[in-house]
Amino acid sequence: MSDQPASHGRVLSAEPPVVVVAGEIDLAVAPSLQACLEKLLDYGHLHIYVDLLEATFLDSIALGVLVGALEQCRKAGGDLHLVVNEPRILRVLEITGLSGTFTLHSSLDLLAELGPWPERTGRVGEAPER
Amino acid sequence: MTDPVGEIFEYDEREVIELAFPSRPDLVVLARFAAATAAARAGFDLEEIEDLRLAVDELFVSFGPVARNGCMRLELDRSADTIRVVGSFEGFEPPESSDGAEDEKGTWERAAELSELLLDSLVDEHGRETRDGRAVVWLRKKRAANI
Repeated sequence: MSDQPASHGRVLSAEPPVVVVAGEIDLAVAPSLQACLEKLLDYGHLHIYVDLLEATFLDSIALGVLVGALEQCRKAGGDLHLVVNEPRILRVLEITGLSGTFTLHSSLDLLAELGPWPERTGRVGEAPER
Repeated sequence: MTDPVGEIFEYDEREVIELAFPSRPDLVVLARFAAATAAARAGFDLEEIEDLRLAVDELFVSFGPVARNGCMRLELDRSADTIRVVGSFEGFEPPESSDGAEDEKGTWERAAELSELLLDSLVDEHGRETRDGRAVVWLRKKRAANI
């Protein structure tokens, strides 16, 4: 079993994929998030949702990872969506001028309308295969 | 309005907290915890405490990947309504070049720009310099006046 803290996040295997990230997203967690997003891009997913509803802290290195993934998604004709309603994270986005750059959602209700997700899940760092 | 925290801890008196640990990413949480504790003892409100936690975290980011192999020393100096944080890194080595170096550099450069914006907004003053061969970062944050 991996020694990676399970609380940091998981990937819901679906189209579009949803990366669920929880807890404090900082220097220690950002590399795993980056690896996960890069794998999803490598697998050809153009639209990726990052669910930050359970995240309580986001620093600039994690934000930099999200911006990098956003640029790659858009370059390929897709988008990176952030699902966030935590005021502290929204404030970080405001301060850095990125609240208008990302496509923001306050819940995953929109995705739920597309149908149920498969049961299979993985941790951040493990991208689902298509 | 009376500040009960101030009455209990008498935050007008100076207090210094020193912390030293390997500058590993998974230990940055120690710096955030120390900053939050010092801020709470100084009577900062919840939003100010969160601001200081994030700002201290950003001090690490401002040093980039070179900070990974060094020793982090953190000094939190609280006097009256102000907290001053000084962080220094010793013994770090330049990162080795690799195939992923460009990606990593891009991520860190992007983060450094965002970090600067955050620090400008979160604290009253911040800076970085080199002293005696050591890289030093610092910030100062003043508590809002009680209403």
